[in-house]
Amino acid sequence: MNKTSLLPIAAMLALMPRSAPAQDARQIMIEVQNRTRSQTEYYEGSLEVINSNQKITKKRWRYDRLGTYGNSKSALRFVAPAEVKGVALLVINHPDRSSDEWMWIPAQERHRRIAMQDRSTRFFGTDFSFEDLEERDVDQYEYKLSGDDTVDDAPCWKIVSHPKDGKASQYTSSFSWVRKDRFFLVRTDNFNKDRLIRQIVYRDVESIDGIWTARTVAVLDKSRNSQTLLTLDKVKYNLPMRDADFTRENLSK
Amino acid sequence: MILLRLISWQYVRQHRLRSLLTTIGIVLGVGIFVGMHAAGASVLSALSTTIDRIAGKTQLQITSGEAGFPEEVLERVQSLREVAVAAPVIEAVVRSGVEREGNLLILGVDMTGDRSLREYDLEAGDQDIVDDPLVFLAQPDSLIVTRDFAQRNGFGVASKLTMETMEGERVFTIRGIMRPGGLGAAFGGNLGVMDIYAVQKFLGRGRRFDRIDVRLKDEHSLAEGQAALSNALGPGFQVDVPAARNRQFDSLLHVYSFMVNLSSLFALLIGLFLIHNTFAIAVSQRRSEIGILRALGASRRQVLALFMTESAIIGLVGSAAGIVLGSFIAKEMAGLIGNIMQAHYGIAERAHEVRFGAGLLAASIAMGMTTSILAALLPARNAALVDPARAVQRGSNQDISRGNSRGRSAAAGMFALLAVLCVFMGHSQVVFYAGYLSFVLAALLLAPTLSVWLSCSLRPLLTAVQPFEGRIAADSLIQAPRRTSGTVAALMLSVGLVVSMGGLSRGTFESVVDWVSSFLNSDLLVLASEDGTNRSFHFPDSVTASLASIDGVSDVQRMRSNKVTVKGASVLLVAIDMSTALARTSGRVVAGNFQQMYRLGAEGKGVIISENCGLLHNLGMGNTVEVPSPSGLVRLPVVGIVTDYLNQSGTVFVDYEAVYQPFWKDPTVDMYKVYLKQGVSEQSVKQQIQTKLSRQRRMFVMLNREVKARVMSNTRQWLGLSYIQIAVAMLVAALGIANTLLVAVTDRRREFAVVRAIGAFRNQVRKSVWLEATGLAAIGVTLGVAFGAIDLLYERQIVRHDYAGLTLNYDFPVLLVFLLGVGLIVTAWISCLAAAEMAARHSMVEALEYE
Repeated sequence: MNKTSLLPIAAMLALMPRSAPAQDARQIMIEVQNRTRSQTEYYEGSLEVINSNQKITKKRWRYDRLGTYGNSKSALRFVAPAEVKGVALLVINHPDRSSDEWMWIPAQERHRRIAMQDRSTRFFGTDFSFEDLEERDVDQYEYKLSGDDTVDDAPCWKIVSHPKDGKASQYTSSFSWVRKDRFFLVRTDNFNKDRLIRQIVYRDVESIDGIWTARTVAVLDKSRNSQTLLTLDKVKYNLPMRDADFTRENLSK
Repeated sequence: MILLRLISWQYVRQHRLRSLLTTIGIVLGVGIFVGMHAAGASVLSALSTTIDRIAGKTQLQITSGEAGFPEEVLERVQSLREVAVAAPVIEAVVRSGVEREGNLLILGVDMTGDRSLREYDLEAGDQDIVDDPLVFLAQPDSLIVTRDFAQRNGFGVASKLTMETMEGERVFTIRGIMRPGGLGAAFGGNLGVMDIYAVQKFLGRGRRFDRIDVRLKDEHSLAEGQAALSNALGPGFQVDVPAARNRQFDSLLHVYSFMVNLSSLFALLIGLFLIHNTFAIAVSQRRSEIGILRALGASRRQVLALFMTESAIIGLVGSAAGIVLGSFIAKEMAGLIGNIMQAHYGIAERAHEVRFGAGLLAASIAMGMTTSILAALLPARNAALVDPARAVQRGSNQDISRGNSRGRSAAAGMFALLAVLCVFMGHSQVVFYAGYLSFVLAALLLAPTLSVWLSCSLRPLLTAVQPFEGRIAADSLIQAPRRTSGTVAALMLSVGLVVSMGGLSRGTFESVVDWVSSFLNSDLLVLASEDGTNRSFHFPDSVTASLASIDGVSDVQRMRSNKVTVKGASVLLVAIDMSTALARTSGRVVAGNFQQMYRLGAEGKGVIISENCGLLHNLGMGNTVEVPSPSGLVRLPVVGIVTDYLNQSGTVFVDYEAVYQPFWKDPTVDMYKVYLKQGVSEQSVKQQIQTKLSRQRRMFVMLNREVKARVMSNTRQWLGLSYIQIAVAMLVAALGIANTLLVAVTDRRREFAVVRAIGAFRNQVRKSVWLEATGLAAIGVTLGVAFGAIDLLYERQIVRHDYAGLTLNYDFPVLLVFLLGVGLIVTAWISCLAAAEMAARHSMVEALEYE
């Protein structure tokens, strides 16, 4: 084979999207985390909860995160409507154990801890649970490739995961769809035994500060037939943030 | 059956009124028993429903007395590996702010996780019952009510409801409505759910919970979970199943049950005598009829069976009618019991409907029939012994009672002797009750003999009042003891009961007056609830300094009370400032030195207990009292015993600073006793307090005289139940006297006819009956007063040793007896009207032909 005949092949290879070779499922998830890793994250979110009667309630919150997967702190503060302004949630994620969560209610002027037993309950009437607001660290789960699939015409790996011993979770297993071209998580189906509890879909993906970001997160609660749409605005990464901003005392500010 | 139809039924038809009056004794006894037990059972059942509905899937409940415990305990419980769910709870009863609705039971729960335990909406699955959960949590005025409550009052989501809180009246917003069923059925639907931290704020609970409800992981048994929790928390906490709360309330109804059983027992005894009386007379009147039956071949057993069957039927009919009467009584009593439980014990329940269990109905019928059968036993036996030959002879009489009379007197003497011996034989419960029973039996057996003696004594008096009519009346009483003895015995019992209950009531009242003067001796009282019994509301301790800073105030004494368990029984723990009490209190000391006990108490070196606490729980000076607290078991010696009536199952006093705060860590107060400087006006200080403090918070400021009046009013309400006894006595008198006189008039037809034939006017006949009724009532009252005077001695001992541990003075109710005597004589006059008229209007010719 002469060089002339190799050229089209080389050109074709150069034009193909870069992707790491398909290794095991855990490697894929590590890559997913790596590609969305940032020191800090900030966004303002609009939340729409649509219940089974198609009634819509809207809220807005502000989200700050410091740290990376499994070792991060995040603060979520409601900014609208007026009745809920100031209600806040602080989540401190640990790599080796379950996260700590506290809530601040301005009118009561006190913090309240969200107990582990309550993590499976709905977060303030949305279809997220408190557990869904924690960050999943790859070391807390066992992963296995389940095959290939497509989501919105994009080829994806389908990975099944189970929480390891010591990781308390309401979900006994989850299926995750990861786009092969971007190593980006586009959908998660969370199960308790054989029952699908929640489906989370990440849409309107765009690159912000070099990090692929889903601008719309849709959570569907199958048992309640209700849906929550979170739209992220003003997303920024790696802004300077202080550790002191992520304390219970600071929640009230 | 043929005999019943041909003989018994004919007799009943001829004597309808008498049969009716005889039956009423059973009706009354069964009615009181059924009504009052059904009411009590219904309230308890409603309470049990509330407890079950509120408990939901809870398997264990953690409490530490009534004061609750700090929030930190929750994390300790949640961290145990046996625990799947642990949810904190506060329960409080508040006025609903709606006129017709009365109280609302507020359930404070952690809305983030409570739905793992409680079903807020059984019918709609897991749908939200709250419009917006985030708004519900963010706005502390959020409230969930039941659909029943909402519909009754025209409420919907976003409606406003005003309720009393520690911050004064506040407006709450309904943000959710529960469908009926499940939790919505608790407290008769008058249930409100709020976020627990909002409830803490509104009720002044600080950072405390009332209890923690626990569900265990599937792999752990109830016993394992209970053991793990008890080990982790220590002896200051109670870990028990939700149904255990029923037992606590059950024991509180013990007081009520005692009175109910006593009342119905006496009513039945009275019914027994009335039936015995009627049957005895019936046997006498039907002597020739019985003789004919025997002559025709009826066996003694058949005659016995006939009368026993008659009595059984009377018992059955009376019981059935009693159950109907009981249903009316129950409805009225259910509300009264609920109010008493709430007012005196702070326990919330409303029984919307009264249910009659099959067991209760069966017991009532058995009771009524047994009473009736027992009553008729002796007369039926006498009927069976009737000699046929003598029975059919005109003018002859078979006296089968002479032997009975001698036997009765001998038995009475024996029981009287036994009763006296028991007085000297020691203080054991068995000996005491054996003596009491002997006394009652002796009195009952002696009643006929004493009745004859008194009749003889009355003869000169009756003759002096009306020479002719009085002699006839007196002779009737003397010559026919069998006719009158049943009524006299019934009157003796009922009057005796009134006298002894009246004496107890008077003794209690006087003791309470005495105690109120010494205990409630401050110039002002500042309360967190209007009557001081609703323990849902507390002041923060910070109010103490605010009160002390008001012009004119000399001392402020704090008081915090809650129920704790001592030696397995619920007693009242009262934390007070003992150093102030030492300077200000003058209480009645039962044991110990007044100065020393309060000094030691103030130093936290001992407890002071009430006299009834010592008696009921076998505690004396120097004994160690163990009281569970959230910080562990408090072990302190008894350094003094005082007379106190705060709680009928006993009171333990500790110092607020030295003992209560360190162990309970509860900086709240229920009541302040405010002492003023010399010459300062109570009214002006009251106004200052109201101006400075009660605008921002719930607070009731009362003058000393207002508080005393309230306490005495409550005491009278509780003691008012004893007036039911008086009503029973009056009714018995009316029944018994009317019954006896109707029989007498029938028996004495020839006598009245002869009297009329020799020239007596109708009015004279009426007067003789009227005087006989007066004599009967007078004999009954005299014997009853004597019986009651002795019975009061026994009742005082029962109250002291077995009932409430209270030492009451012997206080004979002179005025009550006088009023009762007058009342009974008037009742006798009224009840003899029919008989007197019947006697006056007998046809002389017909009556002379009767013989």
